[in-house]
Amino acid sequence: MSNISQRDAFWKRIYEIAKEQRNLVVISADMGAPALDNFRRDLPSQFINVGIAEQNALLIAAGLCMTGKKVFVYAIAPFLILRCLEQTRVLNAVMNNPITLVGVGAGFGYEDSGPTHHITEDIAIMRALPRIEICSITDSVMAKAFADISYNMKTTNYVRLDRLLFPEVYHSDSNFSEGVSVLKESKDACIVATGSMVHTALEIAHRLEKKKINVGVIDVYKIPINTDTFIKKIRKLKKLISLEEHFLPGGLGSAICEILNDHNIFIPVKRLGLPVKKHYCYKYGGREVIRGYYGIDKRSIEKEIINFISN
Amino acid sequence: MNKLIPMLKKKSYEIRKSMLEMCIKAETGHVTSSLSCIDILVALYYGNILNHMPQDPSCDKRDRFILSKGQASPALYAILADAGYYKKSELDKFAQKGGMFGVHLQNDVPGVEITSGSLGLGLGIAAGIALGAKMDRALYLVFALLGDGECYEGSIWETAMFASHNRLNNLIAIIDRNYLCVTDFTENLIALEPIEDKWKSFGWDTQRIDGHSFEDILSALSNLRSRRSLKPLVIIADTTKGEGVEHVSNNPLWHGLAPKGKDAEFARQCLNRRYANE
Repeated sequence: MSNISQRDAFWKRIYEIAKEQRNLVVISADMGAPALDNFRRDLPSQFINVGIAEQNALLIAAGLCMTGKKVFVYAIAPFLILRCLEQTRVLNAVMNNPITLVGVGAGFGYEDSGPTHHITEDIAIMRALPRIEICSITDSVMAKAFADISYNMKTTNYVRLDRLLFPEVYHSDSNFSEGVSVLKESKDACIVATGSMVHTALEIAHRLEKKKINVGVIDVYKIPINTDTFIKKIRKLKKLISLEEHFLPGGLGSAICEILNDHNIFIPVKRLGLPVKKHYCYKYGGREVIRGYYGIDKRSIEKEIINFISN
Repeated sequence: MNKLIPMLKKKSYEIRKSMLEMCIKAETGHVTSSLSCIDILVALYYGNILNHMPQDPSCDKRDRFILSKGQASPALYAILADAGYYKKSELDKFAQKGGMFGVHLQNDVPGVEITSGSLGLGLGIAAGIALGAKMDRALYLVFALLGDGECYEGSIWETAMFASHNRLNNLIAIIDRNYLCVTDFTENLIALEPIEDKWKSFGWDTQRIDGHSFEDILSALSNLRSRRSLKPLVIIADTTKGEGVEHVSNNPLWHGLAPKGKDAEFARQCLNRRYANE
């Protein structure tokens, strides 16, 4: 298990960059992080807390951006993405003010806080906007790397951080330019996952291996998906399983099916995610319980995969 | 009387005329919304208020003018053409195939800072620029022209709080208070009055003026660079939606429209008569 959260790994590196690059400004919608305490103390002129006012956070960010600042806007993901979506569309997608949206709490990251704090539609929504790249973070190593990548980006990106701790699957010398990486090889079937589900996919793939079923794992951490790279990695596979902690319409599975369709690649895909007919839920007792309600807890996923690849 | 006023009146007539002609030709454009703020825009651009550079539109030292009520784009486009940001012939192509601009404001037009049309955004962007200027110790001013109708947007008040807390005294908001929204008068919808008290209570300096009196506008906008207050300033300019064209003015039915046929001819006559009387 990592000893640092994605959030702290990201902000720790941002703090180091900001000490050198005085045009870096952080706007927080009243969100903190242990790693931001140093930032606030040592670089007060580069830290702005707008209060619980996400729309204004985006507006101030755009204005600052127009004066040459590199702005990171930080809030709990559902509020950052949904409350001010129209601001993001006009200021970033239309006007092209390159800022970085840093949302914490991907999927059910705020486990027991209920559906207001979960975000299970953001991939569908943000990938519908031109000029915006979703960086769906897998571990703390990747989170740190995306601090530098974000600082240097010329368009807007949305850094989608999980709230909980996960094992590290990447190394400090990992290269994150491709947006897609194969974490476990297979010649037959592969789980394509994003965010926290990458860890679930790895766990299930290893479990299946013990049952002599070889299933690979691909991590998609940049959306829109890097089409050429993705096709190269999946072209020879016989079956794909998409896995996401996100409603099915418009999510990762949809994005994969669109690529396959548009490139005449005929590989059967099983999409695993949240069925919309299950609506939102008030379930408590941890992430696995909530996933269970939607049929994407580990046991259900394993069963679905075995059924899918054996038919 | 300020020596500039006769020239400003003439400009105001000319800009009204070219704005009206471009909208009549295009058969679209928010004519009445443009007419209510043209005198304010003319004072800003020709009354030695706004420090702007048509030959170098993105010069760092320019004052930033944010037209938050983006539906008044025809008024600004007519002024920018007159000031030399681009050829006047562009106005003939307003909202037409091959034209460089349309009904709502877009940020890729020389001299225009933002894309607008969605309301409630301009003040926040202006506050962000004003804060950026403070960080850079830059001396330019940031002006934002708001419609009164967009003051219903909650984001305006989020920004209002933010701007006074951060002492953005380099930010000047002007509210085009024409009392009309799309379907009805503001005071029938949800009363905006007492609007000055609202801004005061949010920590702004306020002034209320006649938005069609150049004397009033110039006296409110002059000497802004030597203002000593730490507060941002809002000028509430009482105006008439459709000012200068009687049959379309102060009438919700004319929102977002350009006059056609007899109405267009009558509108031209109104403008000419008004200028001849002055």
